[in-house]
Amino acid sequence: MGDENTLLDASAARHFLRRTGFGALPEEISDYAGLTRGQAADLRLGFKRSRYKPGSGKDLFKVQDRYLSFLLKRRTPGLQEKLTLFWHDHFSTNNAGVGNPRLMSLQNRLLRNNCKGNFRDLVKEIGRDVAMVEFLDTQDNHKSEPNENYGRELLELFTLGVHDFSGSENYRQSDIVQIARAFSGWRYIPQKYKLYFDPTQHDFTIEFPGRGPKTIFTDVGGWGPAGRSFDDLGEGEPEIDRVVDILFDHTDTDGKNTVARRTARRLLECFAHGGYADPVYAQPAVDAVIAESGFDQHFELEPLIRAILVNDAFYETHSSAPHGPGTRKSVKWPVDFVISTLRMLDIKPKKQRVWGGSFITLREHVARIGQSPMEPPSVFGWDWENAWITTGSVLARSAFARDIATTRVGGKSTRLRPTERIDPNLTDPGAIVDAACEVLGIADQLISAERTAFIDYLTSEGGGPLDLQDEDFVDRKLNGLFGLLIQCAAYQVH
Amino acid sequence: MPITRRQFIQRSGLATAGALLGPGIFGNPLVKSAMANAIGSRFLVVLFLEGGNDGLNTVTPVTNGGGLLRTAYEGHRDLGGSSGLQLTPTDLQLTGIGADPNTGADLALHPGLSGLKDLYDAGQVAVLQGCGYPDFSLSHEESRGIWETGNPLGASALAGTGWVGRHLAGCFSSSDIPAVNIENFIAGEYFQNTTSVLAIRRLRDFGFPYDEFDEDDIAAKREAFEALHAAASAGDPSVIQLLGDAGNATLVSSESYPPLHNNYEDDRPTFSEAYSDINRGTARDLREVAKIIYGVSNGEPNVNARYFQVTNSGYDTHSNQGGADPDGRHFDLHREVGDSLKVFYDDLADMGVANDVLTLVWSEFSRRIPQNSNGTDHGSQGPMFAIGGGVNGGVYGAHPNIESSALDQDGNTVYTQDANPYRSTDFRDVYGTVLKQWLNMSEFDILTDVLALDSGFDPASYWTAADFDLPFL
Repeated sequence: MGDENTLLDASAARHFLRRTGFGALPEEISDYAGLTRGQAADLRLGFKRSRYKPGSGKDLFKVQDRYLSFLLKRRTPGLQEKLTLFWHDHFSTNNAGVGNPRLMSLQNRLLRNNCKGNFRDLVKEIGRDVAMVEFLDTQDNHKSEPNENYGRELLELFTLGVHDFSGSENYRQSDIVQIARAFSGWRYIPQKYKLYFDPTQHDFTIEFPGRGPKTIFTDVGGWGPAGRSFDDLGEGEPEIDRVVDILFDHTDTDGKNTVARRTARRLLECFAHGGYADPVYAQPAVDAVIAESGFDQHFELEPLIRAILVNDAFYETHSSAPHGPGTRKSVKWPVDFVISTLRMLDIKPKKQRVWGGSFITLREHVARIGQSPMEPPSVFGWDWENAWITTGSVLARSAFARDIATTRVGGKSTRLRPTERIDPNLTDPGAIVDAACEVLGIADQLISAERTAFIDYLTSEGGGPLDLQDEDFVDRKLNGLFGLLIQCAAYQVH
Repeated sequence: MPITRRQFIQRSGLATAGALLGPGIFGNPLVKSAMANAIGSRFLVVLFLEGGNDGLNTVTPVTNGGGLLRTAYEGHRDLGGSSGLQLTPTDLQLTGIGADPNTGADLALHPGLSGLKDLYDAGQVAVLQGCGYPDFSLSHEESRGIWETGNPLGASALAGTGWVGRHLAGCFSSSDIPAVNIENFIAGEYFQNTTSVLAIRRLRDFGFPYDEFDEDDIAAKREAFEALHAAASAGDPSVIQLLGDAGNATLVSSESYPPLHNNYEDDRPTFSEAYSDINRGTARDLREVAKIIYGVSNGEPNVNARYFQVTNSGYDTHSNQGGADPDGRHFDLHREVGDSLKVFYDDLADMGVANDVLTLVWSEFSRRIPQNSNGTDHGSQGPMFAIGGGVNGGVYGAHPNIESSALDQDGNTVYTQDANPYRSTDFRDVYGTVLKQWLNMSEFDILTDVLALDSGFDPASYWTAADFDLPFL
């Protein structure tokens, strides 16, 4: 059991860094080792709000390329990008539905700029985000027949969730029908991508008396049979923000704030481990981090994230091999797997490519491994954890490892340079394996059978002292060792 | 408590990716004999229309017959222009199928489904109307999960596994690879933790990525990969075992499956070209299935898959759905699927296996009966299709009652198993019929292992057909 005053040793610092960023470099580990959990969280959360966007071109591939390059930059704050990717998954929007990479790039900036800000403000902003307006049909929400698409996902995916922690429904279909009315009449000017309100396309009660009053949550949410009106600040333009305000006042059957609980649970699921998908498992930690941060009072994300990063829940996956059946681990997201590998091995892609094996771009690598940024499969985002692992994604992870291990052309910085990462004077196969594992941060994660398999591979051409001054040997076997390390099970999780 | 799809995936733990082989795989390679049990020489293909296919503009009433389906349809769907979704009798004149068994109304497939109509005319298509489940969910995620698990009642015994997956788990062991999903992921229907399901997008690209410049080292790399993943399979926790098992299955199948591509292309260039001409994902995906079926039929070593999954996306037509205009979105989706299924059937017929392949088509829900301004919101019961030489072609089940007075307050048709001329078809009966009549599972095993109800539920309330005997098979 620990708290914000618990000191991080080097191993805990490594865990902290790779869960809140993309891999842990030796110099970063030495910066964080010796800090308390609270100091580490404050340091990691200290980044300034960024207005970076990955280009404004018409070409989706270029937007994706720029985005991945930005993740690789040394000065890009790791936690900012982990959060931005988390929100991209949460407010999942894809270019296949939007049909305009420029809008995807602008949404990416919105998510980055608000990644640790106020969540209520973020939800209000995303409802006005032109990519979202296009993706979930607010643009096609006409007063004659209000379109339910955005209203449903606003409730189901962005704020409340279908069920609360006790399994009770958080809303009814009739609530979605009413909320769809609020979003009628919002349009954007093509080319300028500027949202505006067209009152002639808005559903006003006087025109549609048969649809009843603009009242929602008459038997859920904690307001009793009177429910809540979302036109109490005036009909028309104010309604969409009013709806969001009401959602953020919704309480579940335990009397707790529904949005606060669901949002905290989702963040724990991402930053701690997949066990937090289960509300029963999640509830104690969820309620603790909300109580500590006051998130249900103000919806500021930064204190909530800090509370998560100092909580024991965040450290549940920090453990050394051999693991037991109850050990918690998370599968790295594909973007994390690719970017952290390149960072830890200090390989700089050239023209978006790792110059080995297939010569395919980073964008293609992450897509084949199962996570193409700006192209999540649907409004539900990506499926996490074990769902990342299939025969197809194993093959794609292996292809990336192969490319890394065979970087032979290009300049010095585009190549895997294993003898710069480990001491070239080492001759003992076991010591070489251990040093290589340390570079990738998995020295304490292997079981003996795996270590033996690596040693057997390294000595397949003969045992005895190995010569890391022999360039051919290094090129073939030491590079090959790194390729296998990147493919082994322990490296896929954190 | 019902769980969401995401929770479902994560709770299913080892089952999730499906790609599971026991540690004994390399000592006991791929025994073919286990395949000879339930499915025999047959194949099952599941085609998922993702997003909620508009059933009313898939199987459309052309006349009223003894009821008011056409009149009601014309009231719900607007005529003309880019926003009108109504299909006129003229639009439907070439794609007529049989009459609705309940009202006698003439029915027609959407004009985009002309390929499927050809198969219908040849007696190879069963149209299963009004498929759904009680207390239907309008959430994509929930409803899809319900169809995938075959578990609308939240029976605890079925949590975390798919309906095909539970069947596979009952028939195959850890040393088998009975199923392939033509996807980058494993579909929910296939979740289980007993046997292996492969995720292959394209066979040609499924070869193991060795470094070809260092050919002398390939054997050592393969040996190391195998040893590492065998160690992980025997390790802890379950996610490490999953990674080990998936690695093993990948290695073995990456050696046996890629040659199927060239075999097929060499032997069947005309059919390959026919899929290419459609130039759409569903055609290309079904071609991958055809390549594997061809390989299995030819007895290729370590190729034994008999269960397949293909998905076509884009059916969430809240806006710009389109009607009979061939440039419309829904038309385009229908044409893609109808034409692809036709080529697939013809290909299988030419291979001589058309009578051995059943393709089952489903979507997570249908769409709202009244249209919105130019699309449709989420709905309830919709049609399924069962296609193949072994199918008794025709129209089964009642078209849902779409008269305004019969719709719920949201404008959706209502699932009912009451004695009622518009009785719904429970989708579990379709599954049950496939399991019993096509996959040769006993009723007892189906009710125990695949479509179990928690105690306290009376099966009679949930099955449309007694004993899973819907007559389409």
